Amino acid sequence: MKEILEKVKRVFPLQNIKKQRENLYFVETEKIHLVSLITNLRDINGFKHLVLLTAVDRIENGVFQLTYLLNNDELKIDLGVRVFLDRENAEMESIHHLWKQAATYQRELREMFGINFSGSPRVDKAFILEGWDGMPPYRRDFDTLKYSEETYFPRPGRSTNDPAEYMKQKMYPDE
Amino acid sequence: MGKINDILSPFTAWKHVVNKPVTIKDPVSRIAADRYRGFHKNNLEKCIGCGTCESICQNAAIDMVPVEGIETKHGDSGLRPRIDYGRCCWCALCVDICTTNSLSMSNEYIWIDEDPEVFRFVPGAEKKSWDTRQAGWQKPSDNYELYDPQRVKMGELSPEIRHDSFVEIVQGFSKEQAIAEADRCVECGICTATCPAHMGIPEYIKAIRNDNLDQGLKILYETNPLPEICGRICTHKCETVCSVGHHGEPLSIRWLKRYIADQNPADKYKEILNQGNIDDKGKKIAIIGAGPSGLSAAYYLSLMGYSCTIFEKLPQAGGMMRYGIPEYRLPYDQLDKDINYILSLGVDIKYNATVGKDITLEQLHNDYDAVYTGTGLHSGRSTRIHGTEHKNVYQAVDLLRDVSLGKEIPVAEKIVVIGGGNVAMDITRTIARLQKQKYGKVQVIATSLESEEEMPADREEIVEAREEMAIIEPGWGPVEIIIENDKITGLKVNKCLSVFDEERRFNPKFDKENQKIFPADMVIESIGQGADLSYITESFKENLEMDQRGRIIVDKHFQTSLKWFFAGGDIIQGPDVITSIANGHKAAIGIDKFINRNS
Repeated sequence: MKEILEKVKRVFPLQNIKKQRENLYFVETEKIHLVSLITNLRDINGFKHLVLLTAVDRIENGVFQLTYLLNNDELKIDLGVRVFLDRENAEMESIHHLWKQAATYQRELREMFGINFSGSPRVDKAFILEGWDGMPPYRRDFDTLKYSEETYFPRPGRSTNDPAEYMKQKMYPDE
Repeated sequence: MGKINDILSPFTAWKHVVNKPVTIKDPVSRIAADRYRGFHKNNLEKCIGCGTCESICQNAAIDMVPVEGIETKHGDSGLRPRIDYGRCCWCALCVDICTTNSLSMSNEYIWIDEDPEVFRFVPGAEKKSWDTRQAGWQKPSDNYELYDPQRVKMGELSPEIRHDSFVEIVQGFSKEQAIAEADRCVECGICTATCPAHMGIPEYIKAIRNDNLDQGLKILYETNPLPEICGRICTHKCETVCSVGHHGEPLSIRWLKRYIADQNPADKYKEILNQGNIDDKGKKIAIIGAGPSGLSAAYYLSLMGYSCTIFEKLPQAGGMMRYGIPEYRLPYDQLDKDINYILSLGVDIKYNATVGKDITLEQLHNDYDAVYTGTGLHSGRSTRIHGTEHKNVYQAVDLLRDVSLGKEIPVAEKIVVIGGGNVAMDITRTIARLQKQKYGKVQVIATSLESEEEMPADREEIVEAREEMAIIEPGWGPVEIIIENDKITGLKVNKCLSVFDEERRFNPKFDKENQKIFPADMVIESIGQGADLSYITESFKENLEMDQRGRIIVDKHFQTSLKWFFAGGDIIQGPDVITSIANGHKAAIGIDKFINRNS
């Protein structure tokens, strides 16, 4: 793995090379280099399989973090390539031309995070959230509790107590 | 060709008909993985009902409900979480945030029942088959925290810098530090019941987090008009019940309060608190003593429109806060900031005015609509052992008062302090500083009846006294002060085996075979203080109800049996500043009720 990374590093800017375990590494790169980097990894360095494509909302830094996890079956190693996108109008180049199944991941990310992969087949079609027109629910500023309260009916017989208020009633009701 | 394949291909599955099946025969009794997130378990003994699980639940699946046999007490709301599995999404955030680590999940996930109501229960209170199961999700033990278990470190002057000066030791939080500390609060509110003034603690911490210090100041003044003072020297009982303290260090509630007061400039208070115009009720209240309870009563009465006059025996206001607590813990300018704001509401103080001497209680009764007294405990108690009549035996409260009055106090080379409370630590540390200044070295021993663990002084006081080179000798009972040729040479002590008997009554037991002499040429007694109520003359005493120990009996509004006469502060409860403030506040409400009834 080290040799491959050394080799790739000579032609692509890679940051934060992190070894998770012997057969799993993570690297970061710039958004503009991502597609050509993973094309290189697939076609020259044997990472022929896309294991997954996933996102994390790093709302504190104002970015989405995408992770492309690639597998080299011959060497039995995995490499995660990370890239950061601005949260505002998040847009990423599609990789469906490299792996057909990437279109499904991209469609999911479009729906759950609102990240646009323009040109990806059927990317705007509902994936699992049919009829959803609110904020994409995996965004960290999506208020899950509010949604839950608005969407699901309150079960009869439920009641709760605020600890501080309850303690006042029990311990010092007159004050 | 294609068509033939379409027809035949399903039949290719038949070639596996004799193979061993890869599916599981009995999927129902299959045990889930060790870290599977199944039905909850809760250790009801460990749980304190802080409700943080309910607050974090993104599905509103948790209710906090009373459970039979669990009492509401300090540090425990008595409530326990009830989970509605119609909503639970098994995310385990409730387990991961749990402040006491009482909540966990079993790996049980199968439960079939026709009654939907059974899927809502209080884990731990309603016995389930998985309660004793070890496997399941638990909060990972290492480096996995949703809030920081460690406090933000407070800057303090090192012992080498502070040991000969009265400069304030604790430096206070910066904005970044305060926000980081405030961020650790889970907003459960368990602390509010334990604070004698029931301050809105989670609310003002939230104001710090939102960097809204105007709001913070308003919340402080709702229940406490002395925040600079309490932000420094409060006994912070709230921190002893802080839910975050169960698994880490409790919030620095006291320092956060100080931060709000420190950051708001004095000249902005009136505008922030919106207390510019108050309608005068045309009623007059006399207050005896400008200590915390008198000042607190004056503040809340003034806001209601009463005109208040405080009669203070000493040349400045503050009571024990000025004349008892040393400057290195509570600088005078900070004390003045709080007091001056109360005075700015129109409170009048007559300084050097001793009730019973310069003006009588009777005059106050005749000239005012009600009288509040908060004269505190300013008379030091003596051990009355042999030798205490010697001129070089002093009372801690007298010396501390003299230091604050700017008088020079006697400082011998070798001093023994008798006592283990906060006042004893105050005088010990004051003496250590003065000895350092006068002799260049410290030779003061503080000895208490109580063992190290039982000493009533705050932990940090004991540690800091030691850092300042004072010697603390717990567990000794004074026998006599040894006097040779009219000079004190030492204090003889017996080993103290226990202070309290089985019924927790004060009944010390000594080992008289085990004696020791602490060398000294001066002794300071600090074993407690009493009240001087001589201003309450006989004619009033006849109708004033007191208990067997000579303490005035008051009702919940701090009203005595003389309806116009209210009493609070250290002479009634405590002794401590925050209890006195709370007393003054309640008495103000009581006085308002009394006057409204009479007019």
